Amino acid sequence: MGDAMADWHNILIAVDEMESSLRAVRYVGQIARNVKSVSICLLHIYPEPPPDFHHKGGVLEEYQAQRIARAEHIFSRCLEILVEADITRESVYCITNMAEGKTISDTLLEVRKKGNFGTVVTGKRGVSKAEEFLFGSISNTLARHCNDFTSWIVG
Amino acid sequence: MVDWNQFPPHILPLLKNHNALKNLRRQPTIFKDTSDFTSIDYGDIIHVDNRYFLVVGYAKEGRFGIDEQPKQWVPKVYDLESGERKILKLVFHETFTLALGDLQVKCYRRPEKESQVLELVRGNAMFMQGYSALDEVGNLVRILDIVGGIRLDTAIGRLDCDQETYMATHLENILRRFQRAVEAIILLHDHGFKHGDIRRDHLFIDREDGHYRWIDFDYDFYLPERPFALDLIGLGNILLYILGRRNFRPEDVLQHPDMGERVLQTLDMSDLSLLSRDRVFNLRKLFPSMPKLFNDILLHFSAGTDVMYDTVSEFYAELSESIQQVYG
Repeated sequence: MGDAMADWHNILIAVDEMESSLRAVRYVGQIARNVKSVSICLLHIYPEPPPDFHHKGGVLEEYQAQRIARAEHIFSRCLEILVEADITRESVYCITNMAEGKTISDTLLEVRKKGNFGTVVTGKRGVSKAEEFLFGSISNTLARHCNDFTSWIVG
Repeated sequence: MVDWNQFPPHILPLLKNHNALKNLRRQPTIFKDTSDFTSIDYGDIIHVDNRYFLVVGYAKEGRFGIDEQPKQWVPKVYDLESGERKILKLVFHETFTLALGDLQVKCYRRPEKESQVLELVRGNAMFMQGYSALDEVGNLVRILDIVGGIRLDTAIGRLDCDQETYMATHLENILRRFQRAVEAIILLHDHGFKHGDIRRDHLFIDREDGHYRWIDFDYDFYLPERPFALDLIGLGNILLYILGRRNFRPEDVLQHPDMGERVLQTLDMSDLSLLSRDRVFNLRKLFPSMPKLFNDILLHFSAGTDVMYDTVSEFYAELSESIQQVYG
């Protein structure tokens, strides 16, 4: 049995403020409610500030504080969903990261590897090809890179 | 009358004899603070890095099909000690929105980024050369060598032959040199830098040996998940231009004496560019003798594509392989 199957109950859910994220959390809640040893990590990754941020007098710590506050709001909605699905509060924890010098996808894959998560879950927004080319798609990147873990993409 | 006592003696020999001063009816000003670049005029002197640069003109904003406007933050200058011609780029922070079809990307002009790129590519013949220095109040002035050569698109436009002759006679050489230029962009990306403004008029052909050279690195854009996407689009657009020798919008196809309605009828939306949907990327429908391998690369940038390049390295690999297979 490979690592991915052994650790499948170690679940990482990438969340943002989109409705598709909440759908992914609901899905995990339904699946994981009867799993004894499940561990769920809610992960929110936000980008670095835009290139003119420092020139305009922006302070990185303030930007990070704002993003962390936004992440906590997202986490509280996700936690409500999981608790409603009978997932114990103790089996869920949250991480917020800034994608520093790399993309959000790469940061996600890095967190996945470091935490030895066997399952990575994300919602699918449904973007056009042009949008995907320009702005990227986390779910498509996950699908391409899930060689030693399992990826659930929730539509 | 000019009061020459205002200037350091060692610059006077070149200053007094320069044409810019001969018809000047005012006292030239020495600017050590370049913050208000709009007040620096022809005949004034910029003092930076302990060098005195006489302003003798301005670089023009290159926009296709539109009258070129002088860029006041990019004076053409004359070094009053060495006699060298240079281009200075003064600090101009600008933010604007770039529209690509229905999508928008926020773009920035960032002197700091250009300065870092210049540092990285120092001595690399594939890039414009220069260095940065702070003026008296800390503005990052870039002191650039003049690029000796002509724009790639201008050179292609001057080739007086039909498309078949062009493909048989000139295309291989242009593609091989472009291949090296793409390799140079990978170097930037490997160091975390975007070029930022890859366009056909930002690629010059060196006057001496004909190699290609990228210019203008001060643009940046905010695409956190696909940081190099616009550079990739730029390369695709240049390849399209190289292969077709111009851009073909559907109306251009209709008006072309060898194409017209007959070819236009074969086109559909999937043949147009993925983002702007304004030009034909499926060139084999216009030029059936276009090698399929090259056309397949173009199709990655078309609205009909199912597979997109993630990186310039992927684009480079396919371009290299195609050149190898077509020309050996």
